[in-house]
Amino acid sequence: MRYIEYFLFQGIVLVMLAPLVNGIIGKIKAFSQKRQGPPFLQLYYDLHKLFKKQIVVSDVSTWIFKVTPMIVFTTALCAGMIVPVVTSFIPENFPGDIIFTIYLLALGRFFMMAGALDTGSTFGGMGSSREALISSLAEPSLLISVITVALISGTTSVSGMMLKMQTENTPLLQPVYVMLFLAILLVILMDTSRIPVDDPSTHLELTMVHEAMILEYSGRNLALMELGAAIKQLLLITLVVNLFLPNQLFIGTTGVALVVISLVMYIIKVIFVAVIIGLIEVSSVKFRFFSVPNIAALSLILSFLGFMQYFILGR
Amino acid sequence: MGLILWAAPLSAILIMFLTKTTKAHHIISVLVSVIEVAVTWVLTYQVMVEGQIAYGFVGKLFYLDAFSIILLNLVVIVGMLAAIYNIGYLNHEKKNGEIDLKRIRLFYMLLYGFIFTMVFALTVNNMGLMWIAVEAITLASTFLVGFHNDKKAIEAAWKYVIICSVGIAIAMLGIVFLHISSLGINEGAGILDWTTLYDNADKLNGPVLRFAFIFILIGFGTKAGLAPMHTWLPDAHSQAPSSVSAMLSGVLLNTSLYPIIRTVSIVNKNMESSVFTGRLLIGIGLISLATAAIFIITQKDYKRLLAYSSIEHIGIITIAMGVFTPAAVFAGLFHMINHSFTKSMLFLTSGNILQKYGTREIGRVQSLIKVLPFSGTVFLIGLFAIGGTPPFSIFASEFSILISIFDNNNFILGVTIIGLLTLVFVGIVSTLFRMFYYNNREENVTSGETNKYGVAVIVIMLVIISITGLYMPEGIFNLMVDAQNVITGGI
Amino acid sequence: MEKYLDILSILILVSSFALMANKRIKSYINTFRIQAVLISIAAGIMGAQSYAIEKRLDIIIVCVLIVILKVYYIPKMLHKTYADIEYKVGKDFFFNIPVLIFACFALVVFSYYCISDIQGIDKGQLNIQIVNSVSVVMIGILFMISRKKAIGMIVGFLVIENGLFVTTLFATQGMPFIVDMGIFIDMITGIMIMGIMVFRINDKFDSIDINDMKSLKG
Repeated sequence: MRYIEYFLFQGIVLVMLAPLVNGIIGKIKAFSQKRQGPPFLQLYYDLHKLFKKQIVVSDVSTWIFKVTPMIVFTTALCAGMIVPVVTSFIPENFPGDIIFTIYLLALGRFFMMAGALDTGSTFGGMGSSREALISSLAEPSLLISVITVALISGTTSVSGMMLKMQTENTPLLQPVYVMLFLAILLVILMDTSRIPVDDPSTHLELTMVHEAMILEYSGRNLALMELGAAIKQLLLITLVVNLFLPNQLFIGTTGVALVVISLVMYIIKVIFVAVIIGLIEVSSVKFRFFSVPNIAALSLILSFLGFMQYFILGR
Repeated sequence: MGLILWAAPLSAILIMFLTKTTKAHHIISVLVSVIEVAVTWVLTYQVMVEGQIAYGFVGKLFYLDAFSIILLNLVVIVGMLAAIYNIGYLNHEKKNGEIDLKRIRLFYMLLYGFIFTMVFALTVNNMGLMWIAVEAITLASTFLVGFHNDKKAIEAAWKYVIICSVGIAIAMLGIVFLHISSLGINEGAGILDWTTLYDNADKLNGPVLRFAFIFILIGFGTKAGLAPMHTWLPDAHSQAPSSVSAMLSGVLLNTSLYPIIRTVSIVNKNMESSVFTGRLLIGIGLISLATAAIFIITQKDYKRLLAYSSIEHIGIITIAMGVFTPAAVFAGLFHMINHSFTKSMLFLTSGNILQKYGTREIGRVQSLIKVLPFSGTVFLIGLFAIGGTPPFSIFASEFSILISIFDNNNFILGVTIIGLLTLVFVGIVSTLFRMFYYNNREENVTSGETNKYGVAVIVIMLVIISITGLYMPEGIFNLMVDAQNVITGGI
Repeated sequence: MEKYLDILSILILVSSFALMANKRIKSYINTFRIQAVLISIAAGIMGAQSYAIEKRLDIIIVCVLIVILKVYYIPKMLHKTYADIEYKVGKDFFFNIPVLIFACFALVVFSYYCISDIQGIDKGQLNIQIVNSVSVVMIGILFMISRKKAIGMIVGFLVIENGLFVTTLFATQGMPFIVDMGIFIDMITGIMIMGIMVFRINDKFDSIDINDMKSLKG
C-alpha cells in the first residue's frame, strides 16, 4: 500500500511542479527586460494545448522516432522516483542508485539524440552532435561531485546521502560543499539548455542545441518531450537542493501535516534555485559554441577542487 | 653611531635634490662616501673589540657582527672608489653631451638610494627586514641599469626587475616558512631575528625549516646570480653604466648571498650536520660554474664576459660554503673580498674602455695598451688576476678553497672545479687577448686617458689586490676568523 | 569564524583559476580586483578576531591598506597604463586556455603533495589554508610565464604578492607590523617602477609584446 501511495504522490508532485520552474525563470527574464512576460503557468497551458493537437510524423523515420518521447518521459519520471523529493521514505532504494539515476537520464538523452538523427533533417543532426559534445563534457563533473558527496556520507544511495546531509548544519559554509554546489549548478546550466550554453527561444541555427533535437516533434509527442525535459531539470534541482540546503523535516514519513510542511519548504527551496538560475541566465550571453567547453572545464575544476578539499580535510 | 651609517646616504639624496650644480654633486657624493667609510672603520674597530654590536629602537634592530662588518666594509670601500671614479666618468659624458645636469642628479640620487638599501640589508637583525631591503635594492637599481635609455638597456632593466622580483617573492615564501618553523617558541618582539633563531635553532621545526631553506636558496639565489636563475645577470651588468656595474657585480652579489649564508648557519645548527645544505649548495655552485665556463668561451662583448665571470666566482663561493668546514668557510669569505675588489676594478676599467672606443664589442677594440696606457695595463693584469694567476688575491683564495676541499676528501669535486676553472681561464684570456693587438683597421680614436680619477682608482685597486694575495694584517685575519666562527658556530 | 576563512581561501583559489582563464587584459585586471576584495575580507575577519582577542590593531590597519591599494588604486593605475599605450590585438598567451587550466590544476595537486609531506605542520585548518595559499603563489608564477604582454607580467607579480600575503595571514596571523608595512611599500614601489618600465618599453619598441625584446642573447 505504501508503495502505491508513494509512487502516486511522488509522480504527481514531480509532474505538477516541473513546468512551474520554467515559468519562474521566464518571468525573471521578462522582468529584467521590463516586460510583463508570460504567466507563471505558461508551460501548463502549452502542454494542455499540445495534448489536443494532431501528430505529424515524417515517413522516413523509423520506430525510434515514435518511441523516443515516451522513453524520455518515462526515464525522467523513473529517475525521479529514486530521488527523494519530500520524504526520505524510498521503497526502492539500493546502494549505487545515484549512478543508476544518472544513467537513466543518460538513456533518455541518448534516445533523444537518436530520435533527432532519425528524421533525416539537418537540424536534428546538428543538434545531436552539439548535445553529444556538451553532455559528454558535463557528465564527469556531475559524477565527481556526486561521488564526493557519496564518499563523505559513506553510501552511494541518494536517500542515504540526503539523510547524512541532514546532520550537517549549514553545509554551504564549508568549502567542499560550496565548490560542489557551484559545480552542479553549472552542470544544470549545461544540461537544461540555459542561456550561457543554448538559447531555445531563438530558433536560429547558431544558437539551438536542445531545441534543434525536438524540432520535428508535434502534438502529444512534443508535450511528452517538453515535460520530460522539465522533469529532468526539476530532478537536478532537487538533487542540489536536498543535498546542500537541507531542512530538518525531511526525516521521517509519519503524519500528513509533516509531509505537507516538508512539501512547502521544498517548493520554497526550488523557487530559490530557480531564481538563481534565472539571474544567471539574465546576466550572461550565449557563448560561442567552442567556448562552451570552457564552462564545462570550469565546472570540472570546481568539482575537482571540492573533491581535493575533502581529500585534504581527510574526513 | 650606526644611525649615521643609515642617515648619511639618505641625507645625501636630499641634499643632492636641492643643489643644482654638478660640481656640488660630485663633492657631496665623495664626502658622503668618505663619511661612510670612516664610520664603518670605527664600527669595525668596535666589532673587533666587543664581538658584536646590537642596538636599535625596537629590540635589536641594528646589528653587526664579524661577518656582516666584513661585507659592510666591502660595500662602503667599493662605493667610495666608485664615487671617485664617477667624477671623471660623468664629466666626460657631460662633455660629450650625452648627459645633462638633471640626468646626473638623478643618477647620483638613485646611486645613493642603492647604497643605502645595501647598507640597510647588511645591518639589520630581522630576516623580514633583510628581505625588504633586498627587494628595495632591486627596485632602487632598476633605473640605474636602464640608465642609458636605449633599447638594450631597457630590455636589460625589464628582465632585471621581473626576474629579480619573482625571485624575491619566492624568497618571501621561504621567510614565511621560516616564521612557521619558529612558531612554537615564545617570543615577543624577537620573531624572525637572526640572533633569536640562531640561539634557538635546535628547537625549530626541522622539516619546515628545510622547506624554508630551499625557497630561500632559490629566491635569494636569483638575486645572487646562481644558475639557472642567472639569466638577468649578463644583460644587467653589461648594459648598466660602468660604476653601477662595478657595484652590482662586486658588492650586490655578496649582499644577496648574505641571507642565504645566515640561513645556512641556522639550518646546519638545527640539523647538526651540513650534508643537506651542503649538497644543495655544492650542486648549484657547480651548475653556475659550468654555465659560466661554457658561455665565456663564446662571448663577443667584454662586459658580458666579465658578468659571466662574476657568476663563476659566486659559484665558487657557494661551493665553499657548501663544503662548510672551517677552512672552507674562511676561504670562501676571503674569496668574497678578493672577488669584490678584482671585479670592481675590471668593470671600472672597462668603463674607461667603453668611453674611449664607444663600443662593447671585443672585435672592435684594438691596441688597447697604446691608446689607454694605464687602463690597458690594468685591464691586462686584471684579466690574469680574475683568471686566478699568482700572486694576485683571487689565486690565493681559490687555492685555499681547493685545499680545503681536498682536505675534506672530496677529490672528485676538487678535480671538477680545477677543470672548470681551467676552462674559464682559457676562455677569458683567449677571448680578451685580441683587444691588445693591432689589427690594421682604421679606427679613429685618440690615445690618452679620459678619466683621470678613474685611473687613480683602478691603480689603487690593482695595488690592493696584489697585496691581499700575499699578506694579510693581523687584525683583519682575526676578524675573518671571528666571521667564520659566526657562520659555522664555532665547530 | 574559522569556516568563513576556509571558504575564503578556497574562493581565492578559484579566483586565481578564473584569472588564468581570462583572455583579455581588461578582464583580468578586473578579476584581480575581485581577488583583492576577497583577500581584504579575509584580512578583515582575521583582524576583527585578533582585535577581539588580543587587542592588536595591526591586522586591521593592513586590511584597510589592502582595500585602498589593491582594490582601488592599483587596478585603476593598471587600467590607465593600458589605456595610454597603443596595443595591437593579438594573442596574449603562449598555450591555449584549457591547457593552462590543467597546468594550474597540476600545480595545486603538486603543492598539496609537497606540503602534506612535511611532518611539522598541524593538520586540519592550517593545512588546507596553506595549500590553497601556496597554490595561489604557484599559479601566479605560471600566469607570469604564460603571458606575452608586459602588463600580464605585472598582474602576475601582483597575484604572487597576494598569495604571499594570504599565506602569512593564514599561517602565522600576519608578520610583525614593520615587516608588513615594508612589504607594502616595496610592492607599491615595485608596481610603479614596473609601470614606468612598461611605458618606456612601449616608447622604444612600439609594442608591449615581450617577444620583440630578444636582442640580448647568449
